Amino acid sequence: MDEYQSIMSIPNLFKRKISLIILLFVLVACLSFLLVRKDTVDFSTTVKPIINKNCISCHGGVKQQGGFSLLFREEALAKTKSGKPAIIPGNAAGSEMIRRLTLKDPEERMPYQHPPLTKDEIEVLRQWVNQGAKWGNHWAYIPLEKTTVPKSSYFFGLIPKTNPWAKNEIDYFIADKWKELNLEAAPQANKETLLRRASLDLIGMPASESMANAFLKNTSSKAFEILVDSLLASPHFGEKWASMWMDLARYADSKGYERDDSRAVWRYRDWLINAYNKDMPYDVFLTKQLAGDLLPNPTDDDLIATAFQRNTMTNDEGGTDNEEFRNAAVLDRVNTTWEATMSTTFACVQCHSHPYDPFKHKDYYQFAAFYNNTRDEDTYTDYPLLRHFTDSAKIKLNKLEAWMKKHSDEQTTESTLAFLKTWQPAYNSLLCDSFTNGAVVDTKWMAFRDQSVCRLKDVTLNNKSSLIFRHQTYIPGGTWEIHIDQPNGPVIASIPIKKSSSKGGWEMTQFPIKPTVGKHDLYFTHRSKTPIDPLQNVMMFEWFYFTNPLASPLKPDFQMANQLFFELLRADLPTTPIMLENPDYMKRNTHVFERGNWQTKGALVQADVPASLGKIPANMPKNRLGMAKWLTDPNHPLASRTMVNRLWEQIFGNGLVETLEDMGSQGANPTHKELLDWLSYAFIHDNKWSIKKLLKQIILSATYQQSSVISNQNLLKDPANKYYARYPRVRLSAEQVRDQALAISGVMNATQFGPSVFPYQPKGIWLSPWNGADWIQNTDGNQYRRAVYTYCKRSAGYPSMLTFDGVSREICSPRRIRTNTPLQALATLNDSAYFDIAYHFAKRIYTADSSSKIVQIKKAYYLATYKNISENGLKSFTNLYNRAEANFKNNPQKITEFLPATASRKSSTASMAALTLVANSMLNLDEVLMKN
Amino acid sequence: MTQQDLHQQRLLREAEQRVIQMNTRRHFIKESAMGLGALALSAFMGSCGTKSTDALGGIAFDPAHPLMPKLPAFAAKAKSIIYLHMAGAPSQLELFDYKPELMKMDGQDCPPSLLAGKRFAFIRGVPKMMGGQAKFAQHGQSGHWISEHLPHLATVADELCFLKAMSTDQFNHSPAQLLMQTGSPRQGRPSLGAWSTYGLGTENQNLPGFVVLTSGGRNPDAGKSIWGSGFLPSVYQGVQCRSEGDPVLFLQDPKGVDRDLRKASIDAINQVNSEEYKQYNDPETLSRISQYEMAFKMQITAPEVMDIQQEPASIHEMYGTQPGKTCFANNVLLARRLVEKGVRFVQLFDWGWDAHGVNSSLSIDIGLVNKCRAIDKPITALILDLKQRGLLEETLVVWGGEFGRTPMMENRDGKANAFKGRDHHTEAFTMWMAGAGIKKGYSFGETDEIGYSAISGKLEHYDLQATILQQLGFDHEKLTYQYQGRPFRLTDTRGKLITEILA
Repeated sequence: MDEYQSIMSIPNLFKRKISLIILLFVLVACLSFLLVRKDTVDFSTTVKPIINKNCISCHGGVKQQGGFSLLFREEALAKTKSGKPAIIPGNAAGSEMIRRLTLKDPEERMPYQHPPLTKDEIEVLRQWVNQGAKWGNHWAYIPLEKTTVPKSSYFFGLIPKTNPWAKNEIDYFIADKWKELNLEAAPQANKETLLRRASLDLIGMPASESMANAFLKNTSSKAFEILVDSLLASPHFGEKWASMWMDLARYADSKGYERDDSRAVWRYRDWLINAYNKDMPYDVFLTKQLAGDLLPNPTDDDLIATAFQRNTMTNDEGGTDNEEFRNAAVLDRVNTTWEATMSTTFACVQCHSHPYDPFKHKDYYQFAAFYNNTRDEDTYTDYPLLRHFTDSAKIKLNKLEAWMKKHSDEQTTESTLAFLKTWQPAYNSLLCDSFTNGAVVDTKWMAFRDQSVCRLKDVTLNNKSSLIFRHQTYIPGGTWEIHIDQPNGPVIASIPIKKSSSKGGWEMTQFPIKPTVGKHDLYFTHRSKTPIDPLQNVMMFEWFYFTNPLASPLKPDFQMANQLFFELLRADLPTTPIMLENPDYMKRNTHVFERGNWQTKGALVQADVPASLGKIPANMPKNRLGMAKWLTDPNHPLASRTMVNRLWEQIFGNGLVETLEDMGSQGANPTHKELLDWLSYAFIHDNKWSIKKLLKQIILSATYQQSSVISNQNLLKDPANKYYARYPRVRLSAEQVRDQALAISGVMNATQFGPSVFPYQPKGIWLSPWNGADWIQNTDGNQYRRAVYTYCKRSAGYPSMLTFDGVSREICSPRRIRTNTPLQALATLNDSAYFDIAYHFAKRIYTADSSSKIVQIKKAYYLATYKNISENGLKSFTNLYNRAEANFKNNPQKITEFLPATASRKSSTASMAALTLVANSMLNLDEVLMKN
Repeated sequence: MTQQDLHQQRLLREAEQRVIQMNTRRHFIKESAMGLGALALSAFMGSCGTKSTDALGGIAFDPAHPLMPKLPAFAAKAKSIIYLHMAGAPSQLELFDYKPELMKMDGQDCPPSLLAGKRFAFIRGVPKMMGGQAKFAQHGQSGHWISEHLPHLATVADELCFLKAMSTDQFNHSPAQLLMQTGSPRQGRPSLGAWSTYGLGTENQNLPGFVVLTSGGRNPDAGKSIWGSGFLPSVYQGVQCRSEGDPVLFLQDPKGVDRDLRKASIDAINQVNSEEYKQYNDPETLSRISQYEMAFKMQITAPEVMDIQQEPASIHEMYGTQPGKTCFANNVLLARRLVEKGVRFVQLFDWGWDAHGVNSSLSIDIGLVNKCRAIDKPITALILDLKQRGLLEETLVVWGGEFGRTPMMENRDGKANAFKGRDHHTEAFTMWMAGAGIKKGYSFGETDEIGYSAISGKLEHYDLQATILQQLGFDHEKLTYQYQGRPFRLTDTRGKLITEILA
């Protein structure tokens, strides 16, 4: 008080004058603020919401009633059906749009057959038109700029005030918003809580006991940071974050649709885990997944990354049109790109211009053109595949490569090696048509019968002198001939049909063809000298590859090289589906699909990005690689915001924009736009797209480290915790529920990577038609692997994962909505997988100290939560233990029924059974299922 | 009632209160003076294109109590639905669509006019026409034509309302089933049952709101996504109940754990959870306590309901059940029991109707007859049984497949098949409905004289879906969910109520 008075000790009169001046100043400021505000009706925040709510469904991207649309400025100002524009900038009184809002006649007044706009809304629109009907961009479509941290300050902003609570910039943004609701930070959470919280967030399961103890014993102020660093460095980090990405990538171990056969694409899952573990910068992470095959000299890993877009479904149902489902996959890739990396719902634009956001119908197909020229054609085998060479095969490959470099030309060497790696670019036989006595069997493989004719259109021969084809032979003896342009056109090959060398299985054969220039329709005909059953297939083909010999046969060791080539070609190798671009001679045209119908082709389009979101950098080609560069350009408004929002959601349970799937003008408003923008800018510029750095920043904030205890005040003011004045309690994800149980019980098999595994699953879940595959449970320890490795069948997912809001991975799922149902309780209480885990948990505590049940229960609770149990808690579980033990003692036969078959006779005691039930119950506690 | 029960009940009530207070996703609740009953109503008042500040749209979705019963938008004719989907698509030409003219063309080459510009799954070249492979007769006052394959069903002809000119635009099973059940041929949309459960919640909290039963040895072609929840919260997906093993997955306590012991363990869990609630003050904890209570009750209720052994012998005889096995008849009886106990939506998928003629079990002349034999008695029993219990008036029974079958005999890959078969056909097929405000003994729509395409009353799945939702008390245009920035609905931009068949 004294201090204050001494500063302010100026004569009274003078003081009064100052107050008057200040008052005047304030008045002027207020007035000018009001005027300024009147002068600038902001389109995005004020006008667009009114339009979206009232006008756009009839005057937008879908419908343009009366020839009037409000989606783009040029459309809104254009002439309507009446011949006049509805908006005349600067003249609201003369604008038909404004006039129609105020009419009495319900036939004339807009919105038609809906309640009229309020006076205020009309006033806003009137002013906006008067001010020139300027357009503006939705916040999320404006490139990021460096924003200032809202620190309050002394002396008119000259000296920033530090907030003692704040640990980093995030906290200033969060605290800034609290002023609105008069909220205060919750107290710092205790170490035990932070330990479990950060472990679940970073590695998806509790930290190991040693890591936990190290942290709990460390009293230094850096202890938490050290813990966070070791969690970030854990090899399990990637497993947690890959799980998140796999929903977006719609990763599954099966192809989907009716037959839903297996697909070996787990190397992509492993690629993801490694990428997160290595902290691959997010721009690189995206570029490799979208266009790894187009990078200069792509590595096998770069190619595996492209399986991101090969996780589309393949329809093996007989009688399906492969071109239809190839198109479905292309469109799915477009939708996934936009939903996963740009929080934009592009799918609407498939059928018509976007109803609310600045994307035109044509934009969709220009973007689709990026994906329309890959080699995949909905084939049964999921071509194109990357063939994974074993070490011994690699030696052969190197030998062949060395030979070719010496004896062949560069182009032949390159294409030969590429062909060995992928069997591409080959013509798939399912493209054959114009059949006589033949068919594409089950709409998958071309087969011909006696005297058959069929066509393979538009084949580029370019003087190639050799044909390699993959086929099965049923009836040897005849000849198949390849004619040019007509069924009876010139013959370029007359191939004797030899007896199968692989008992009717697939084999690959090479045969010389007469070199021919240019592109031709090929006609395949069959003739046999002896009569054969006209209904029986003679041969079935999978693909045709036109090529040249490795080098001149006169070169030394040609036979050896040729033999190596065929050994490598025919080697039975594991594969992964990848993206591979068509060579120029196979390029497809891309058209707009009218109303989204793939059979109604509209205008021809070229690959490009929507004009409303910038351009592909000038030095980049207009292909997937150029698209990836555009997406990861620092000026792209959505890529960074989308990922930051997604990471925030993983940590806090809700995104800063709640609708992870949609950041457009119809999505939820951001709760902390400035924070989102600040973090997104920093993610690019300061953190150089490092996910680990971003996560560390979030987790070291004071906001993150608050207690999740909800004060009544706080609950009343902010029930949904939109202002983060406490840490939100969030139920664990399906993966976390499983992984945590495995970790707590000590039974987890921490092996990483490899083919997907089969933990316990109830019988009768897999019953796909035309597919006899069955779930065969692992018993070799693989049943205790982390959830990320569980086999994912699209049409019949792993039941307990689905119960806990896991998704079926058929399409990109940007957000899981958490629910709370009795079926979840039943899963963790009764699922044999969880009961088995409980038994192992009991064993872990039992061996820890078998002397006292009190000690055992305490230990169990500690392992489950890294906290000490309360008096009451101990009492509840001791009661349960006693009751169970008495029960099992009275009915000893129940012990063996109850404990898993693997339990030894020695350990099959009433106390062990009682402890197992206690362990099972403990894994069902709210505190265990929730992140506190 | 023990002290503890009272305590639990109080806790539950408190949970409900707290959840309602805190849940801002339903901020409009506070504004609604009409209480819970009006919830759903206000949720569906939002017109298309309304900007919602709410992430999920103005919807009565409460993540803590997602299955709370809700009132429909208007008085519903149907309290529940039993939807019998014959996966694989039964032939209308052998069952309900009597075409003597087609018989006259039997064995002739298919006229080019029927092939030009059409896409078929397996027919190639010029197939032969094939007359109906069954004798037909008229039945009941209504004079419905029903084939000899369904002699029992013929006795209840006057209860049925046929839709003879259904059509679709998908000619493969998986996409067509998705279209029929979710309104889209691609994955990702909620199913009819999910929409219904989302709109209505669950009457009986001890049972799932949407139950799926499968038979025929295989899952339907489109897998679980035809009873999936799409973009709706996963809680609205169908719960598959089984007549072998656990009726609901994980329902049974582990062996050796009796009810008392399970109760004791749930009590321990909930005691500790109550402590937890005292500490954290999080309404979600109360909700979990009530979910565990509910799970315990479901463990008692569900097996009771699912145990068809409890039915008298006369009922077993009537339905033709085979206790202890998984079969369609058992599932039909189960469906009745579930509906009786307040389950809103029971959906049966029976696989094996894909009569291409590639083998005997999937053929028109043998397989189809056997499939008919397996469903005829149970379906007839269902209608009679519902009727005698006074339930038919409030239960909508729907029967049909995902498309129809061609009037041509299938010639796969351009050659004759081993058995008589028909290919997939999109332009016309028959479905029927019964009960819950649908006209009895009525037939709507007509096909041409060979059953190839509709000549009147042509319907698409959207119309059927709109009508089913109508009977449940919803305007199909207003039962929406805000997703990806726009209100989605089952019928997309289409769907016309089939007013002609409403009683």
